[in-house]
Formats: sequence, C-alpha cells, structure tokens
Amino acid sequence: MAKSNPPFMSGVPELLLLRLLDNREMYGYELVRAIKEVTGEAISLGEGVIYPVLHSLERTGSLKARRKPVGGRTRVYYSLTRQGRGRLADLQEDWRRIQGGIETALESPGHA
Amino acid sequence: MREPDFNALAERLLQCGIAPRHAHRTVNEIRDHYDDLVDAAVDDGIPIRRARQMATRELGRMEDLVAQMSARRELKTWAFRFPRAAIVVYPLACLAVLPAVPVNAGIANAPLLARWGASLLAAGVLTAALLLVLQLSILFG
Repeated sequence: MAKSNPPFMSGVPELLLLRLLDNREMYGYELVRAIKEVTGEAISLGEGVIYPVLHSLERTGSLKARRKPVGGRTRVYYSLTRQGRGRLADLQEDWRRIQGGIETALESPGHA
Repeated sequence: MREPDFNALAERLLQCGIAPRHAHRTVNEIRDHYDDLVDAAVDDGIPIRRARQMATRELGRMEDLVAQMSARRELKTWAFRFPRAAIVVYPLACLAVLPAVPVNAGIANAPLLARWGASLLAAGVLTAALLLVLQLSILFG
C-alpha cells in the first residue's frame, strides 16, 4: 500500500465508506478519491483494501451492489441499505464515544 | 515494480476459499481501479510506463489484498466456513447421489437402452431357436 495507517484504524474504513455512501451511490475508485478528499488525505487507505470491506458490507446486508455500464466499462456501484444506515448510526455513536474518551484522557493531567 | 498479475490474484483468492462470486468480482474491480489510476496519471501528463508503476504502487501488494479477503469469513465458501460440517455432509451427499447416477443415465438414454434391450432379446430368441432345432435334429435325426 502506498502508505499504511496504524493498527487502531481498524474499523475506520467501514465507517468512512458507509458515511460516503449515505450521500449517493459510488464505485470503488470514486470512493477512494472521496476518502482522500474528505479527510484531507489524513487517512490514506491502500486502494485495494476497500474492496474486501465493500464486499463484506454487502454480504452482511449493509450495502447493495449493482452493475452499471459507464464509458465502455461496467462499474459496480454500491449504495446503502436500511440496515446499512443503522450500522452507520451505531458506528458513528461508537466513534464519538471513543473520541470523547481519548480527548478526556489527553486533556487530563498525567497519571504516571 | 512488476505490474499486478490479476489472473494470479483470482487463483489465490479461490485457493483461499473466497466464494467465486466475490473472487471474480474483486479481480474485475481491482483491474478497473488500476486502469482508472493509469488513466488519471496519463491525463496528468505522466508517461504511460511511469503511470503504470505508480498505479501498481498505489493499488498495493496483491498478497495484502488476499490476506484482507481471507480474514473475512463471510466472503468464503460454505465448505471453508464450516469445514467440519463439510467433512460430514459432502461424503453423505456423495453416497446419496451415487446410486442415482446410473438411474439418471438410464432415463437420459432410454431410447438407446430400449434398442439395446430389444437387440439382446432378439439375439436370445434366435440362439434358443437354433439350439432347439439342433436338439430336435439330434433326437429324431
């Protein structure tokens, strides 16, 4: 991968993909570009990494995929399902809780 | 840097037990992604050879992708997800199916079997008639 992210980033690709697909349907390459754009390239996913996540989310019913011919190629577009919206809400809640906890820990005096 | 070998990727995914539907679609998506990366670089004025190298690097190592796919149990075939059950179910299914194979073959080739049976019957009757004539000629000859 071009640049790797720390191990604690596990679960972040899923959250980002669901969040982006909440707006509109997109295909893999488009999603990677969008992630780079919305995160200001702070999060750099290996470009191939998103496909296992997308397939997994589709398999578990959070996403649905459809083939669409575009410019001589057949793209696989992903969109969010009702179940996916629920999963996104859960992940956002988890993320905010963790973020709040870490911020509190960082702001509090050290416990050496 | 070598360009990605998409055929080898498909083979590796299938070997790891990834369901063919997911394996083949992943390879097609990765191939399209690679082409998009190359096209974007070429549009930026980068020579094609360099564009391909950059696309290969950005796409990442195929082994990493295989590892990511393999780590997701839900993408694997039934037999890879439940190997112990498969060990029991597959032989039982074979035992159930094997006796049906000759019956099915017979039904599928019914006209041929009918002709074969009729020929055998005719040959048997002819042979019996010849033996009867021989026997009678010995007795009354």
